[in-house]
Formats: sequence, C-alpha cells, structure tokens
Amino acid sequence: MPFPFRLRALSHSVAIGASLTLFAGQAAAADRPVQGGTLIYLEQQAHTNLYPPAGGFYPNGGILNQITDKLTWQNPQTLQVEPWIAESWTSNAEKTEYTFKLRPNVTFSDGTPLDANAVAKNFDTYGLGNKQNRLPVSEVINNYARSEVVDPLTVKFYFSKPSPGFLQGTATIGSGLVSLSTLARNFDALGDARHIIGSGPFVVSDEKLGREVDLVARKDYQWGPKNSPQQGRANLDAIKIIVTPEDSVRIGALLAGQSDLIRQVQAYDEKQASDQQFPIYAPPTRGVNDSLSFRPDNPLVADLHVRQALLHATNSQQIVTTLFSANYPQATSVLAKSAAGYVDLSAQLKYDPEQAKKLLDEAGWQPGSDGIRQKAGVKLALTVYESLPQPQNKEVLQLVAQQWKQVGVALEVRAGDAGSRTLDNLDPSKTPLTVSEVGRADPDVVKSMFYPDNRDALLQKGGSSSKVKSFRDEKLNAILTAISAETDAQKRLTLVGDAQRYLIANAYNIPIFEEPQVFASAPWLKGLRFEAVGRPAFYGVWLEKH
Amino acid sequence: MTRYLVNRFGQALLVLWAAFTVSFVLLQVLPGDAILIKFQNPDLGLSPAQIEEMRQIYGASTPFWQQYLHTLLAMLQGDFGYSVQAGVPVSSLIAENFPATLRLALPGFALALLIALLLAFASSLTGLRGLRNALQSLPSLFIALPTFWLGIALIQIFSFQLRWVPVINPGVWVGLILPIITLAIPISAPLAQILIRSIDSVQTQPFVAVARAKGASQRRVLLHHVARNALLPTLTIAALLLGELIAGALITETVFGLSGLGQLTQQAVNNQDVAVLQAIVMISASGFVLVNLLVDAVTPLLDPRLTHSQGVLS
Repeated sequence: MPFPFRLRALSHSVAIGASLTLFAGQAAAADRPVQGGTLIYLEQQAHTNLYPPAGGFYPNGGILNQITDKLTWQNPQTLQVEPWIAESWTSNAEKTEYTFKLRPNVTFSDGTPLDANAVAKNFDTYGLGNKQNRLPVSEVINNYARSEVVDPLTVKFYFSKPSPGFLQGTATIGSGLVSLSTLARNFDALGDARHIIGSGPFVVSDEKLGREVDLVARKDYQWGPKNSPQQGRANLDAIKIIVTPEDSVRIGALLAGQSDLIRQVQAYDEKQASDQQFPIYAPPTRGVNDSLSFRPDNPLVADLHVRQALLHATNSQQIVTTLFSANYPQATSVLAKSAAGYVDLSAQLKYDPEQAKKLLDEAGWQPGSDGIRQKAGVKLALTVYESLPQPQNKEVLQLVAQQWKQVGVALEVRAGDAGSRTLDNLDPSKTPLTVSEVGRADPDVVKSMFYPDNRDALLQKGGSSSKVKSFRDEKLNAILTAISAETDAQKRLTLVGDAQRYLIANAYNIPIFEEPQVFASAPWLKGLRFEAVGRPAFYGVWLEKH
Repeated sequence: MTRYLVNRFGQALLVLWAAFTVSFVLLQVLPGDAILIKFQNPDLGLSPAQIEEMRQIYGASTPFWQQYLHTLLAMLQGDFGYSVQAGVPVSSLIAENFPATLRLALPGFALALLIALLLAFASSLTGLRGLRNALQSLPSLFIALPTFWLGIALIQIFSFQLRWVPVINPGVWVGLILPIITLAIPISAPLAQILIRSIDSVQTQPFVAVARAKGASQRRVLLHHVARNALLPTLTIAALLLGELIAGALITETVFGLSGLGQLTQQAVNNQDVAVLQAIVMISASGFVLVNLLVDAVTPLLDPRLTHSQGVLS
C-alpha cells in the first residue's frame, strides 16, 4: 500500500541542499566506503527529553534518528513509505485497521526481541499515552484505539475513526521503536540518553549531561531500511555529539579540522565554508513555515483588520534577503512548497505598508504623539518571545518590529531563555503573537500546529491554556479534524489547501520563510543523508582518509 | 583571638541561613515553575488538566511553609532534592559539575593573582615613566574586555589560526589552558589596581623612608616591607572578587562548551529548576563565607596589630 500521491513540489524544492545531498549519494556510490573512525558532530543545543514522540526538537531528532529504527521508512527522495522493520502492511478502505508483518530476528541493543509484542506496546504508549509513567500521547498518531498481537511477527492496530496519516506516522522521528524496558521507565528518566534502548545502527555508550553524547556502532546490525543504499552495520565505529552553543566556535572548529560535521550553520557563515570547499547541506523540513501566529483571544489582535494590517506590514522578502541565504526560500503559504498539499498564496501575502496603514485607520487605530497608534487610550504595542531553535529568530523578530514600526505598531521582542517565557506564551493577554514552525512530511502537519489538542498555536479555549477567555474557531477545527480523518488522498490534499486559505484569509498566521536545517561538513565526510524532514542519518556516513 | 573567630563563625552561619531563606522565597514567587516549563513542550501537546496532574504528582501544591521546612531540613542532612529538568538528584549534578568548575576557577584565580602581582611590581620597579604608565593602564584595558569576546578571540587565534590547542574534544588540562586565561585576565585587573594603589600609599609611610635611609635597594624595600602591607587590602578585595569569578566561569564555560556549575546555573535558570538553583546559591554563599573567614583568619598573621584590637577590618 504505497503512499498514494507524489509531490510535484519536490522538483522545485530547495535545489541547493537537495542536489548536494544527491551528489554526495552518487559520489559515495562511486567510492568504496571506509569502515571505522569516529565522527565528531557539533550540536548547537543540548538534547531535552528523549521520549521518541518528543523527537521534534532538532537536537533530540539528531540523536533518536541514529539509535532507533521505525516500522517504515519514508524515502526522502520520493516521499514513498517503504519497508523497514515492517516488511509489508495492509489496511482496510476506511483506514481504521492496519496490519504490519515484521522482519524476523531484529533485536534491541539490550538483546530483547523487536517482535509484534514490542511494536504493539510502543504504539499503545504513543497512541494512548501512559498516565502512570507520565508518558504523553504522540502528536503524529490520531484516533488510536488499540493493538492486537496476531502472531510473533504480525501486529494489528485499530482506530476509532479513520486515520489515514498513520502509515506515514510510523515513519516519523516521533515513532522510533524502543525496548519494553525503556517504555517501563518514567518520563523523567528519559532525559538520560543511556536509558533509550533502541534497535538502531548506533547505541548510546556514554553521556555527559548537557555537554556530550557518545554513540558506538552496533556490530550485529542487519536490518537497515530495505531500499537504503547502506546495508549491514554502519561504516563509522563511533559518533561524538558535542554541544557547542557558540556559532563562531562551531564553524571555526569545522574549518580548523577539529570536527567533521556541524548543525545550525548561520546564513552569514555559509560563505566561509563553501569558499573552502566544505559542503553545505540544507534539507527542507516540509511543514509549517517559520512564521508568526496570532492569539486572537487578545483584544489587541482580535480584530481581523489589525491582523491583516500586520500581515501586509511584514516584508518577508526583506527578511530573507537581509538575514538569510538561498537556502531559506521566502514563504508563499502557511506550508512550505515541499509540503504535502501546499497551495501558492503569495498573492494574499503581498507586502503593502499603505494598505496596512489604511486597514489600521479603518479599525480606529490613530497614530499617537510617539508614532505608535492608539485607540481609546490603549497603545497598539505587542509582545513576542524569540524561539531558540529557529535560525536567527531574534534578528528576524527585530526586523519585523522595525517593519511594523513603519505603520505605527510597536513590537517588543523578549529573550527566549527567560523562565517566564513558557508561562507567558500560554497567556494570550501577555503574548498576542508566537513564533511557529513544525516539520512533517504528511498532510497532518497543519493540524499538528493549529489544532487545540496539539500545538495549539492560536491558543483556543479548551486547548493547551486555561487563560483563554473565549476564542475558538470551530470552522478551522472542522477542517483540521477532517484532514486527519479523510481517507481519499486527493480530498485530503484539497482540505490541506482549504486550511491554508482559511488561515491566511483570517490572517491567523504570517508566513516568513521555509525553514531548512543547515549543516556543514568537512570535505572528507561522505554518504550523509537526511530523513524526510531534515534530520541527519549517520547510518551510511564514512570518513575518507585525510 | 578565639572569641573573634567564634563570633565570625556564628555570623557566617547566620549569613548562610539568610541566603537560604531569601533565595527560597525569591525562587518561589517567580512566575511559572519547572514542571510547567518541562511539560509545556509543543511536541507533547498536554492539556492544562494533564499538566496540573503532573504538578500534584511532583508535590508542587503543598503549602509554602511546609516546603520551606522540608527543604531546609533536607539540606541540613545533605539532601538537595531532585532536578525536575534532568530527572536526577541535584547532588549528583553538583558532584558531576563542581570539580570541573574548581579546575577552572582555582587556577584561574591563581593566575589572576600572579598577573596582578607581576603588573604591580613591574610598574613599581621600572624607572622608565613611559613603560610605567603603560603598565599602569593595562588593568583598565583588562577590565574593559568582555569575557565573552576575550574567549572567542583566544579560540580564534590560538586554536583556529595557530592550531596550538584544540577546543573540541581536548584533553582535560589542555582544554583548560585557554579558559583559564580567559577567566584570569578580567579578574586580574581590579587586583592589580588595588595592589598598585596600596604600594604607592605604603611607599610614603615613614618606615619605608627609614628602610631606604638604611641603604636598602628599591627591590628589597618592595619585597620585604611594602609587599606585606600592600597585600592586606588586596586580600580583602580578592574575597569580594569571588562573585566575579563565578560570573566569569559561567560565561567561560558557555563559550568553551565546558561542563561546570556555570553552565548548570544557566540551564537551571532557563528551566527554573528551583532545587538546582537553591543548591547553587548555597554553594556560592558557602564559598563566599568560607573565603571571608579565611581572610579574617589570615589578616592577623600579616598584620600583628590586628590581634590586639579586634575587628578593625570588619
């Protein structure tokens, strides 16, 4: 049951990164991979909790993608779902039942078998959560009801409502399979990487909390994805993931030969690397663009005119050309061009400060003596917290603040590492805006971001915050739930288009740019690949003699 | 003398208790809490009710005074509680990070002292006015250097350009060379300034003139007569510089990616990990109190006059 549609978007995706990755692949096929060696990989931030469904955070995904396998493999080139731990699968027409046949003789690194029972326990936990161990539900699994172990190598899943996104969900970073002993632990204990027992090509051998995670290759690994160019054990013997928060130290260490690969290369450092023939990789994350989302419960932005004015006061092209490189395409919709069901809405996203001023005038906001607009003695002054994982987010927000000032709106940018940030971000009266971005190569991604039971970017009543007074958009929620339950692939994509149009028509979201994950490697590093949403896979990597 | 030390010790205990109480109250009234910050993760998508459940499980809803007494008694028994963020006992986090910070801070401080002494004596000894002025203005320059910038500059020059020492994955001591220099230079500045000033003021004292009249060389006068007297104020300042040392260590550890109390503090502040912060406050306060006790114990040895008149310097 292959993935039912192709993405025309892929052909004109972020060409630079994609073609480089392809080149690396072809080059690797021509050369003989060298076995052995230790990869020194510099990370920008320390990992947080490594419960697989929390794998969306870039540093977490970078570790989980090496130590866990998934039921299925989403081919990063075609986005087809292909065999991995599951050799084959079937589902009913309603998409309420899925049956997977597993590959025999797969074991977790603690020696326990990866069989139907283990897979069932994994998805029971990810689909329903585990209150006792405080393990929450995964955002990529919708309408899950129960599992059934048919025989040691056959597992069946039942859903209360159609769940067409489930098959792709089994291929995502959040669905890494872990041993029963890992699932028996408390959520708290999963902050220690040594506690995550997977069946992946690498195993955690050591961790210095907040500083370093060491991985070693599993010698007996024999179950890579069926169509992966790499088979058998990984080429590398070991990987050292070292947290190096300072941008200039990461790029400097790479160019000085002290490291083989770094993540989060700032756009202004890219030239330094490419000038010295150090390849840059910029795989797309194929989801909701790096954007600002409004909290309409806040009276300042409750008026559609105000939100539309700020949408047209935002000059995303200036942001991209001032702060970024060709690897960061300007956004043309809520979703990236390479996302499933993308529709081009650039006509509705035009930068038009005159239109913005007109809209604000109409809404009754008059310029005050200090240039900031006022209405009934209240200033149109908004607050937003920077988001640390997003590239140059502080600079982006400061530029947005400058742009909005031109039309008489004040935007205060607050530091992303403040303890009060989490609390304030749940209170629409304190944060009328939030930074939003999430990657997933499935139509469900738009639901993940905006549905009240998931990420709840708009803060709806009954969602993630008890501070919301009344805002709830049932029409939006209906479209989002329909996406996650529509079994007809074509209709599902149409619904994704509807969701994007609806979000922009209501000016709930201001798309800025399509977020890649940008890496730079030493010229002697070969065979680096990325899963469908830009998390690195070190399985096929090897280090040329140098 | 004994009574003087007992008094000082009693005061020290009082200071520690005050530090505990004030920090406990402040950490409690901060908006938000560690449990919320940990579980309000967009990847997890928990509802407010579920997060409230977590809070119950963690016992974050017991009355304030109960928490205070519980924490105080536990600390007296050496139990620093649990880090919500890392999910491990605070004592093991401290045990993992404290030695690393000591390895950075002690040599850093020693080097700062050495630089200060060298600068002060060199500038008092040299006869050349120009050189003397240059040396005397160095501390101001050192103070003006941001630790952050200094660390990155040292890395760029010595690690990336000259390639003398690696920053990534170095041996324990090799990896400390640049951080120790980074930490020492800004701290050496105030020490050198105080020392230069005290040397200048001691030089004008009558006993120095007497020593000179007896035919002692400038160097001998400096080392035997002036130094002992000039060290007193420097020592007092050195005790006060402990705070600088902690702040400097935090920045240095971040720039060089070292483990230690500095980066532990930074993460605990971001995550409002109250138990960890409380422990760090107590460690810093203890260090502060201990250094001041030592200074009070040592000063009478440097200046015999102090043993007869108590607490001149207090």
